[in-house]
Amino acid sequence: MTDAVVVTNLSKWFGLKVAVSELTITFRPGVTGLLGPNGAGKTTLLRVIAGLQRPSQGEVRILGIDPRKDTDIYRRISLVPEDESVYDRLTGREFVELAAKLAKIDHPIDRARSVIETVALTEAADRALGGFSKGMRQRAKVAAALVSDPEILLLDEPLNGADPVQRAHLITLFKRLGTEGKTLLVSSHVLTEVERVSDRVVAMVDGRLAAVGDVATIRAAMTDKPRRIYVDTGNPRKLAAALIAGPDVLGVQVDGDTVHVETSDAAGLARRLPAISIEQEIPITKVEPVDESLESVFRYLVEGR
Amino acid sequence: MTLAIHLYRRIMRRSRVIGLLALSAVPGLVFWLSAFDADEEDLTAIYSDVLAGVGYTFAIAALILTTATLRDERDSGTLPYIYMRPLSRLSMAIQSLVAGTAAALVIGIGGWAASAIALLAVGGDFDTALRSLSLFVAAGFGYAAIFVPLGYLVPRALLVGLGYILVLETILAFAVEGLAQLSIWRISLSIYAGLEDGFGEFAQEAMSPVTPGVGGGVAKLAGVLVLGLVVLTWALRRRDAL
Repeated sequence: MTDAVVVTNLSKWFGLKVAVSELTITFRPGVTGLLGPNGAGKTTLLRVIAGLQRPSQGEVRILGIDPRKDTDIYRRISLVPEDESVYDRLTGREFVELAAKLAKIDHPIDRARSVIETVALTEAADRALGGFSKGMRQRAKVAAALVSDPEILLLDEPLNGADPVQRAHLITLFKRLGTEGKTLLVSSHVLTEVERVSDRVVAMVDGRLAAVGDVATIRAAMTDKPRRIYVDTGNPRKLAAALIAGPDVLGVQVDGDTVHVETSDAAGLARRLPAISIEQEIPITKVEPVDESLESVFRYLVEGR
Repeated sequence: MTLAIHLYRRIMRRSRVIGLLALSAVPGLVFWLSAFDADEEDLTAIYSDVLAGVGYTFAIAALILTTATLRDERDSGTLPYIYMRPLSRLSMAIQSLVAGTAAALVIGIGGWAASAIALLAVGGDFDTALRSLSLFVAAGFGYAAIFVPLGYLVPRALLVGLGYILVLETILAFAVEGLAQLSIWRISLSIYAGLEDGFGEFAQEAMSPVTPGVGGGVAKLAGVLVLGLVVLTWALRRRDAL
């Protein structure tokens, strides 16, 4: 599988403020979540990849092409910007048709109708965008981006303002596009969204790359962060005593029938637990890793810097 | 020309157009008041004097319209919708200048029509009115060539453009001869003066030290247009779009 987007040693600064710092990363087909708090540099990274801003240092290649030098690349890449602004006086249909005509595609009217259907906006398509809800605007923006059938789709906070039904629809759409072989880069600061939509997560903090991989891989990379696991048992004191003797257990705490375990090696603990249960006849009813969510990983990434 | 049409429609908002047409019509009103009791042989001179002196209202109208051509897109965050398209930056610059110029010309022709009607109302002849159209057309092209790139490059383009019109064109150009050659208004007046024999005394002073002549004026305007196109193409290629 070839890299659709290659970012090499990229930095972007505005005066004294460094928005992106020495970033090297590649993006392949599928959905990649770009995660980070506000000010992490996500929007700047997307804008530089899109060719809207020049790198201060380093380079970006889209399918091997520098987007600042060859505008033909815009037949193959689209951006859904974070800005809420659209052309308020245009109808949703006019907006998408304008995008189709500017993209110089064949049969722009038919194509616009098709993508409007794809984002489930047909009923509202002939209303002015100024009267659209935020979620409807997002869908109109997604339709305008999809109209050229791009291989690469950059989506900056695309689920902002969408209601749960719209959100679910868009997430399904993004996943489908990813499985069709398109490269989607979806930025968000809402962690559950990224978790739901992405095959792969890129976490950014202060303009730098904090981690890359799926949630579990990122979490595993944080070897200096202990993991917490809750174990429900019929004999919590005995289990706690058995666990604390292990080299990978940093601490235990008994809370009713639950033992809270802090470990530096969750995989090792998972292997030892059944053995302890059998050898010492301690019934275990539930094992729950409590900080496996992306949010906990993200919080750790932010706090760890 | 999809982009040019889109940009033109966007900047020609109804409320904006009505306001700017009213502004451009001010010279016509001033002329009508000035020439109400004038002798017929003085009408041409008064007409050119008023256009030269009060016609700056059109310069301001053209400034407001043409700086908005790309500035509206940048300020509202909609520029990615037109920037991220398979259009060469030269084509984008040409279409932006076409949109800005067309908008300026519509307002300019509106202003000219008001002046022409005023001239005819006090007994002037249509040929005199027709020759004055050159002033508005030339100024429309010239100001668009300067202010469309300015609007893209400078966040406070309106303020900078007002500085150009009110300070450079009306004050500094009188004091420094070389600067007068950079004045779009004087160049446009020189084209008008090249067509009009009965140019008024005040109008000649307002045009000086630029000499009358259609060929020279058109050549200067063509130079300004090419320069504007080069600067805008460069800016679209080299500067951050957001």
